[in-house]
Amino acid sequence: MKNLNLILAGVFFTVAAPFGGLLLGGHAQLGALGRAPAEEGGPLLPALEPGLAIQGRQVYLQLGCVACHTQQVRPAGQGSDIAQGWGARPSVARDYVLQPQVALGNRRVGPDLANYGARAKSDAEIAAHLSAPAAGSAMPAYAFLFSPAKDGSLQPNERGAALIAYLKSLRQDYSSPEAKLKQ
Amino acid sequence: MSQENPNSRPQGQGRPQGRPAETGAPRISRVDASVASPVKFFFASALLWLLVSSVLAVITAVKLHLPGFLNGCEFVTFGRLDAIQRNVFFYGWASNALIGLNLWLLASLGRFEFRNAWIATLGGLIWNLALTIGVAFVLLDSQNAFELLELPRGVAPAFFVAFLLAALWPAVAFARRPTSHVFVSQWYILGASFVLPVVYLLAQLMVLWCPTNGVLQALVHSWFLQNFLFLWLGASALAAVYYFLPKELGTTLTGYYLSTVGFWTLFLFAGWTGPATLLGSPLPLWIQSTGVVAAVMLLIPLTITSINFFGTLSRDSGWSRAWNNTTLRFVAFGLVAYTLATVLQIVFSARSLNAIVRFTAFTAGQQQLLTYAFVSMVIFGAAYFILPRLTGAFWPSAKLVHLHFWSCAVAVVGSVAGSLVFGWSQGAALAAAKPFADTAHPQAALLSSACAVLFLIGHVAFAVNAFGMLTSCSSSTDEGRQA
Amino acid sequence: MNDSHRPNDRHRRPRASYNPGAEGFSDGRLVEVHNQLANDKEEPSEGFSLLPVFVVFLFCGFGFWAGLYLTRNSGDFNPGSFDLDAPRAVADNGPKEFEPDPVKGEKLFVANCASCHQATGLGVAGAFPPLADSPWVAGNEERLVKIIIAGLAGELDYKGTKYNGAMPNIGAGLKDAQVAHIATYVRQAWGNQAGPVTDAKVAEVRKAVGSRGAYSPAEILQAHPLETK
Repeated sequence: MKNLNLILAGVFFTVAAPFGGLLLGGHAQLGALGRAPAEEGGPLLPALEPGLAIQGRQVYLQLGCVACHTQQVRPAGQGSDIAQGWGARPSVARDYVLQPQVALGNRRVGPDLANYGARAKSDAEIAAHLSAPAAGSAMPAYAFLFSPAKDGSLQPNERGAALIAYLKSLRQDYSSPEAKLKQ
Repeated sequence: MSQENPNSRPQGQGRPQGRPAETGAPRISRVDASVASPVKFFFASALLWLLVSSVLAVITAVKLHLPGFLNGCEFVTFGRLDAIQRNVFFYGWASNALIGLNLWLLASLGRFEFRNAWIATLGGLIWNLALTIGVAFVLLDSQNAFELLELPRGVAPAFFVAFLLAALWPAVAFARRPTSHVFVSQWYILGASFVLPVVYLLAQLMVLWCPTNGVLQALVHSWFLQNFLFLWLGASALAAVYYFLPKELGTTLTGYYLSTVGFWTLFLFAGWTGPATLLGSPLPLWIQSTGVVAAVMLLIPLTITSINFFGTLSRDSGWSRAWNNTTLRFVAFGLVAYTLATVLQIVFSARSLNAIVRFTAFTAGQQQLLTYAFVSMVIFGAAYFILPRLTGAFWPSAKLVHLHFWSCAVAVVGSVAGSLVFGWSQGAALAAAKPFADTAHPQAALLSSACAVLFLIGHVAFAVNAFGMLTSCSSSTDEGRQA
Repeated sequence: MNDSHRPNDRHRRPRASYNPGAEGFSDGRLVEVHNQLANDKEEPSEGFSLLPVFVVFLFCGFGFWAGLYLTRNSGDFNPGSFDLDAPRAVADNGPKEFEPDPVKGEKLFVANCASCHQATGLGVAGAFPPLADSPWVAGNEERLVKIIIAGLAGELDYKGTKYNGAMPNIGAGLKDAQVAHIATYVRQAWGNQAGPVTDAKVAEVRKAVGSRGAYSPAEILQAHPLETK
């Protein structure tokens, strides 16, 4: 233990071991994971996002929505996410292969958003929630995503519309080879 | 401080009777003088960032129960301020202070006089500049979705270079030390100083520069985060504990010969624990389970550090002597927190328990227990010891020291306990399939706001004291300090 | 190190008195003394001499537990298993689901059938009918399986050659899967081009056949008339 090189070599090993075992091991298994059809001949899933939604992801990241919202549904045996109605099936790795930066999150001040697009009723509902959250909600109002229209009502501006499109594109309501939807 | 209570003098610990402990004093102070400027720089910047972080923490805590508070424009939304607060706390406060602390410890333990300490100061300048730019970017432009990797990827090379400049010296000091003896603190500091840049660089590469596929990013991030928390912050703070405990108590460490095993097992297992924080996520089961196994293995280093520290503290009325010593009071507080934090990390890696508390405030409480109640408290204790030796001055106000300890101690106990209790209770309600909206505890947000204010008070007290000393006596000479 | 910082004086208990010997270590002593401690193997003075053994046991116990835990909770290291409670979708269904294997079928055929029908599947004219390019084999799968399980005895006219043999109930002594392998093999060998036979199908037919004796050609053709191309 008196030798600097020995300590550094040992510490190097302790860093390299989990890096190789977890990160490179995971990469070997999932690094090339791509989209897949739910059943043979079906469309490739997850579906490609519309262009506006891709811009909306930027707004989502910018505003730090990930501080309060997760995007992952745990299996039924691991938490009550499915019972909460946040998803019809557990999230699997394949659901995220299109995302340039995954926003899984690790804190839920608000509900999970992995499958939000499937349960949001309309653009107007999302817009109303963003511009004036229900009383008692810890979510702040995002007034700067809206501008008043001619008739006095609030209309989402460019970024607001993008964010809404992104939220609508959050869907995990399809069967995946790893997690089938229960009929 | 430690000169009280002659009855508690350790027997037979290999210290020759009657030998003045300070024979090496002039030499030590030359060592102190040689690192004074970078260490003072790191501590001063850490303090400034701590104040920024405390103010931001108050704002974000209030925002959680009054979402309309300070919600005028988009640059003060919760999501941005929360990320900034976290980064300022970890990179601004904790990392700055630990770089300075490690530098001082290695210089002291290796009795090494720095010739070119300005290089470390230059590293500190780059570090803080990069952090400032990164924070501005998060505030005005965008951020990444990963805790502690929120800053734009452009600051990563600057952080890396800055850390090398600042932490290159510890390695040089170690390699050139005049004595062949090694103390356990030195291993911890070298390990921590090696882990941080390597892990930070790899995580930046795999998450931000050439992102890996989908959820693998989350895996890389969890690996980075656990390394950062346990092997950078945790190991550096442990180094300080290993130093201050025997030094201030004047006793040797119990079971010292075990500390090697403690060091290697901590470094061996902590790096694998990342996926234990991702139970139930869309990562393959084997990755999650590996993390759980590694987390349980932390019991081994925990056992050894507990024998070392609590064994030492329970001899010769060590607890009461620690309580009556400013530095050790903070350090002992931190030690209890470290033990608790590691136990919680182990216990709540069990799938069934983790399922309840994951995503709730509980995990935030766990993290605060480690990073504040342990790491920050140890840094405070170390600052009370080191800064007078670097400035040649006394702490201006004893009252402020008391105010600092008590407000921070009460705040962190309240805040952590609140997070744990309310987090658990929310998790239990969710597990019973209560609707999500009905499970939040409004009291939790109130409590954390009150604690945030208390933290701010304590930190201001500390900062006033420290800056009073740093500015008034910065011209003090070595001789003045010895007087 | 008695300079330290004034606030600590406030903590000093009244009975404490100044004693230079009782104060903390200098850095040099701290390192030196602990270095001795670390190297001094002779001195189990702290009463923890059993600890290294204890730590070794702890290590072994944890290692054992880790192995168990990983075996049970790692989803067979399958990149597609995320849910501990889900049926092992890919891993477990694989072996369970039966796949008729013509390679295994060939081996079984050689062992059980080739002595009469020949390895070429051409049989022996007048004694054992050929299987190659035969609608008896490539046609209805139930008929084929029935014959394998129950046997076939009686006069038979096939492609202008008369046979009067008695095929024993070979299949009665074989497992469903083995019969399926054989049937799949013969239906795909020697120019026959028919689909595989599953073990489920064999089990179903075996149930229908019961414990009866060999079919006669007329009887079985009545149930399953010969397909014509």
